[in-house]
Amino acid sequence: MTSELSRREFLAISGLLGCALPLAGCSNLNGFVASRLGGGIPESVAVTNGRDIDPAFHLISRAGFGPWPGDVERIKKKGEKAWIEEQLEPEKIDDGLCDFRAKRFESVFLDPGTCYEFKREALRKDLCRYHLMRSVYSKRQLLESMVEFLSDHFNIYIEKGDCIYLKATDDRSVIRKNALGRFRDLVLASATSPAMLVYLDGKENKKEGPHGIPNENYARELLELHTLGVDGGYTQKDVYEAARCLTGWRLDSGSKRGTAYFDPNLHDDGEKNVLGKKIPAGGGAKDVEALVEIACNHPSTAKYIAKKLVAHFVSEEPPQSLVNRVAKRFSENGGQIKPMLREILYSKEFKESAGSKMKRPFQYVVSCLRATGADTMAGDEVLEYLTRMGHGPFQYPTPDGYPMEANPWLGTLLWRWNFAFALCSNTIEKANVSLDTLCSAIGLEDLENIKKTPEVLFAYMAGRRPNQEESKAFKDYVSRRDFKDEKVRDELIGLILSSPAFQKV
Amino acid sequence: MPDQSRRQFLKRLALRSDALSSASDKTLVCVFLRGGADTLNMFVPYADDTYYKIRPTISIPHPKSGKGNDSSIKLDDFYSLHPKLAPILPIYKEGRMAVVQAVGTDNPTGSHFETQDQMEHGDAFKKASGGGWLARYLRARFGNNLTPLSAVSIGPMLPESLRGAPGASAISTIDDIRIKAPCENPVVVAQALTALYGSEVGLLSSPGRDTLKLLTRVETLRAAEYKPANGANYPDSNFARGLREVARLIKSDVGLEVACVDLDGWDTHFVQGSVDGQQAALIETLGEGLAAFDADLASRRKQVTTLVITEFGRRTYENGSLGTDHGRGFAAMIIGDGIRGGQVIGHYPGLNEAKWVLGPAGMEVLYDYRSVLSEVLSNKMELRNTQSVFPGFEPQRIGIVKA
Repeated sequence: MTSELSRREFLAISGLLGCALPLAGCSNLNGFVASRLGGGIPESVAVTNGRDIDPAFHLISRAGFGPWPGDVERIKKKGEKAWIEEQLEPEKIDDGLCDFRAKRFESVFLDPGTCYEFKREALRKDLCRYHLMRSVYSKRQLLESMVEFLSDHFNIYIEKGDCIYLKATDDRSVIRKNALGRFRDLVLASATSPAMLVYLDGKENKKEGPHGIPNENYARELLELHTLGVDGGYTQKDVYEAARCLTGWRLDSGSKRGTAYFDPNLHDDGEKNVLGKKIPAGGGAKDVEALVEIACNHPSTAKYIAKKLVAHFVSEEPPQSLVNRVAKRFSENGGQIKPMLREILYSKEFKESAGSKMKRPFQYVVSCLRATGADTMAGDEVLEYLTRMGHGPFQYPTPDGYPMEANPWLGTLLWRWNFAFALCSNTIEKANVSLDTLCSAIGLEDLENIKKTPEVLFAYMAGRRPNQEESKAFKDYVSRRDFKDEKVRDELIGLILSSPAFQKV
Repeated sequence: MPDQSRRQFLKRLALRSDALSSASDKTLVCVFLRGGADTLNMFVPYADDTYYKIRPTISIPHPKSGKGNDSSIKLDDFYSLHPKLAPILPIYKEGRMAVVQAVGTDNPTGSHFETQDQMEHGDAFKKASGGGWLARYLRARFGNNLTPLSAVSIGPMLPESLRGAPGASAISTIDDIRIKAPCENPVVVAQALTALYGSEVGLLSSPGRDTLKLLTRVETLRAAEYKPANGANYPDSNFARGLREVARLIKSDVGLEVACVDLDGWDTHFVQGSVDGQQAALIETLGEGLAAFDADLASRRKQVTTLVITEFGRRTYENGSLGTDHGRGFAAMIIGDGIRGGQVIGHYPGLNEAKWVLGPAGMEVLYDYRSVLSEVLSNKMELRNTQSVFPGFEPQRIGIVKA
């Protein structure tokens, strides 16, 4: 298990369970536990109502997956700087409630050997649901945002070969372990990660001889996608030399099934020359370390990683001055990720970019679930919406990872709208919303109030008050609907989640 | 106020209904085999001994190998067909399908993404023209007279080739294209969304409006259940289902000008297989899908041209993992009326790989991929000037289309 509940929490939960079980009408234990432990919707939620997007709203929307009810006030109270610093030390943030939900997905905590005892389908569900669930509930939002970024950067397609049995280990020991650590550690862990060895054929890579030549697949992507970038200044010869360094890594098929080991007999132990740097003969299993060191120290890597991080957090057209500053942090600090994130999150460019990015479907779905304070175990139906929008977790076949830019996702609007309407009318299995609770927390006790002031609901969801056109659209809408029952309120909230404002971040 | 906007809304609806009559008379269907397809094992140069020498495990047996259904199917004195492509043999024999050998790009990176991007953008290496080549074609031929179903891609995302195409839509089946709002009378929701997206000025404004237009159009299509013609039997694959939806749209005359369908998974570095196995399964999916599509659209042969391309071929020799690494030249397929079908067009460059200065080796590229696309656009799609699609490119005449 990754992280245990504290003793106090455990006792509190056990106590709650004892009294919860006999309760009639409490259909979902998790939701019940969450609300009693302060993870539900607070009694009162303030609505920011400025013309521009509230800075605290912007911060959690970009550094995380958008506010959970009450988050914006919490950030304001703590101060944005203090919140960022807190997020940069995720191990100090109590995430007991999220961990409590996560325990349900037992296979994600197991080693590959044990995973082979599960059916593929069970592993796929556990892994995808776990990933989605953590993004919704984790209080370590910046960590989850980095996990999303890195899961694309070091993309693994779980339908290829045996990747499904190995990705949970990759998620734990490559991505999550190093997500706020050193970039070089990420690359090194990924290079010999069993899932990556399968996904990019590293386990087939062996020295040139009468029976074959090296398999360049991983070596090419290491330079093109993971470190230097396609214009990073490497040659085909560098790809070949890198592939030589990586020869000999294999996967155990016996008692330690699915773990990586090094077979010196398949390794090319001669001298290599990568990116103009010599790797002396006889390095054996250490060649990969030397290779990763050379690739990560190359100036193109600092620029490329900086550019991608800025694209993730700020704009798909990353401002060059910010990229330069972030790249400088990478080089100064030996590829430490935290200084780069500070440079980005404290920057003027970050603050000024509010509302200028489009959410990818995953972020859209997670932010809807968070904004409505949904009680979800991230069931199959939620995942189906993501699949429909072409953004199912770990379902991207090619190693470049899901596109970061908005354009390829512009065809998904209809599916977003339908997700929003289904969520708000409580028809998605394993995703329950209590819009009554949410509306009273916002101060909209009855339907008549909602009909009169739809802009308050909008402001809560969008972090700003509606502009003139938006106001008019909602006023027209409420004038055409009879607010006799809650269905209309549900539809109105669905409409707000469908509006252009909520597609943006 | 509500009355006025309702009137405006109805007026827009009326305009759309008019547009419905704009049936296309030339539809281009682009199939992209993603991952770099090993076309050498699809159109087999069986008369070249080198082929069998450098592919000891994965080659497709000689037509006279005596292996029955495991032999390739003879096309002429030099080429034979992968047995799993048998479903399209009749199309080839009827002269409606041509194959162009040794097509490719000048891209030396050996990268799937770089090369796919370059091809979908219709560019030379490192020379961006802006947007996708199909988008430029649509604009060049139709200007702003495009409708939400003018360009459709099957699948969750728009391909790069349609980047910048006004009103291109990504769909999987037309049946699920509708707004499912909680209350009755979804028109009220559509009106609100029309107002919200109509006042957008940024990136989302036209996708929002186009989506709403698409919804109205599809409503009319949905009424009728779809039955493929001529006993066309679409197999159970995403690829075939995609083609089936394209056929449905074509026969519904909704003005479909361009359709994109992908078939993924051709990156066969490892245990590629021969007449069976990893690549053979894909070839079967491709062959069966194209054959069903062709049968279904027999009445539309004058209208429909189908193009099958990939980003690059593979190395001519097999690697140590019984697969093939990224290569260069590939064979493109064109299906349609009026083409010089029933033959493999283009010089066979041989399997010698030693000539490349930059980038991975592979079959020599004798025909820039844009020459193939240009010829299809100018001779089949009646586009007068291909310079608007491939600026600065002088196409080489290949002779795919009958003069």
